[in-house]
Amino acid sequence: MQKVDFNDQISRNNWKSFFLIFSIFIIFIALGYLISFAFAPGYFFLIMIISIIFSLTYIWLTYYNSGRIAVASVGAKPASHEKYKLYHDLVESLSIASGIPKPKLYVMESRQINAFASGRNPENAVICVTTGALEKLDKEELRGVLAHELGHVANYDIKYMTVATIMVGMIAIISEMFLHSLWFNGNGDNKNVFLIIVGVLLAILAPIVVNLIQLAISRRREYNADASAVKFTRYPRGLIGALKKIERENVFPEKKVSKAVAPLFFSNPLKNLTSTHPSIEKRIKALEKM
Amino acid sequence: MNWLWILLALAIFVVLIFIYYYNRFVVLSNRIDNSLSQIDVQLKRRTDLIPNLIESVKGYAKHEKTVIKSVSDARKSLVSAKNTTDKLAADSLLEKALGKLFAIAEAYPDLKANTNFLELQRELSTTEDRIAYARQFYNDSILSYNNMCQSFPGSFFANLYGRKPKEHLKIAESERKNVKVDFKD
Repeated sequence: MQKVDFNDQISRNNWKSFFLIFSIFIIFIALGYLISFAFAPGYFFLIMIISIIFSLTYIWLTYYNSGRIAVASVGAKPASHEKYKLYHDLVESLSIASGIPKPKLYVMESRQINAFASGRNPENAVICVTTGALEKLDKEELRGVLAHELGHVANYDIKYMTVATIMVGMIAIISEMFLHSLWFNGNGDNKNVFLIIVGVLLAILAPIVVNLIQLAISRRREYNADASAVKFTRYPRGLIGALKKIERENVFPEKKVSKAVAPLFFSNPLKNLTSTHPSIEKRIKALEKM
Repeated sequence: MNWLWILLALAIFVVLIFIYYYNRFVVLSNRIDNSLSQIDVQLKRRTDLIPNLIESVKGYAKHEKTVIKSVSDARKSLVSAKNTTDKLAADSLLEKALGKLFAIAEAYPDLKANTNFLELQRELSTTEDRIAYARQFYNDSILSYNNMCQSFPGSFFANLYGRKPKEHLKIAESERKNVKVDFKD
């Protein structure tokens, strides 16, 4: 097995995040330019200033609330200390093992065994597990899954993955919303021709954006997080057990999860993605070699 | 003139490397100190839990004096231990005594059903978990610090800044596995 250099991975994640955020800024400016060109060439400067302000606000808001947005988008709730003692205990001891602060913990109502981590850095990280995972996994398996998520936190995968899924994913969601409003508010004046062109462009854009997200997130991160999990727990059996249970139990796709945030999850919550998650057999094989 | 600029850039680059390594050593050795204090925090938590445990055991199992005494003695030696190695040795004795205590508790259904006792048992076992992890993180931190000290070019800067490799915590990992007693189901 090749040696994983976690420091390299951290700096790669930081650079990629920066690049992605910068691209988003440029895309918004370009959109502003196109809009002013198409509808109101006279107000060029005003529109450009508005689009700069808009894109900076958008980036600022999504960046600083990324964890919260991810959690809200799947309808998760904070995990109380009283009700979820084992969950809190396990994460506390694992955060000691990994030397990062304890993330905020959330629980998501779902029969699937799954989990994800999000946030812009370890200090502002969130971890969310499904009720299915809490019910069906035993202590060591749950510990393995949580250690995997803490691995994503420690390696700064959460930063890049959150920027990719939330910041870019929001564009997909917004463009879908824009498209919807077009179908319902058509009142036949000639500006609508442009609106329809923009709408069609966005309709093409949305799935491309989702595909881009999936392309941008490589499978290597999952292998590395598995390796981190073993480094923290010194016990690959727990994680292997969890993966085997997932293979058996997660038969039905989870409807509540949007395509844009699916790559964040421990195991693929929808059945049609293959580029972001390595197959469970391959992950088990890699773990068995450790 | 150009040569001057190149020399200047080179000088700045060299200074930056010196600063980088200096900071790297500071970060790594702070991490070691921090993880050591984490071990102490968890050990302290453990010593704080014992008196309550003894109180609740006394309520139901007065006659088990030897076991209760061995737990409180182990706690005393943990409190009086000076350095972390001694503390951890005392803690492993404490863990053994607790194992006996929890085994005896099996014979007292009222005690076993006492929520306070169960809560203390859970807390003690999670602190033991945390101590094991804190120790693991301490040893991991030592490892990355020592790697930095001993491999080139880190070794050059280690000499320059007077940083020496540090020792791992001695107690074997296997020992803690042996004394770990888990009575849950």
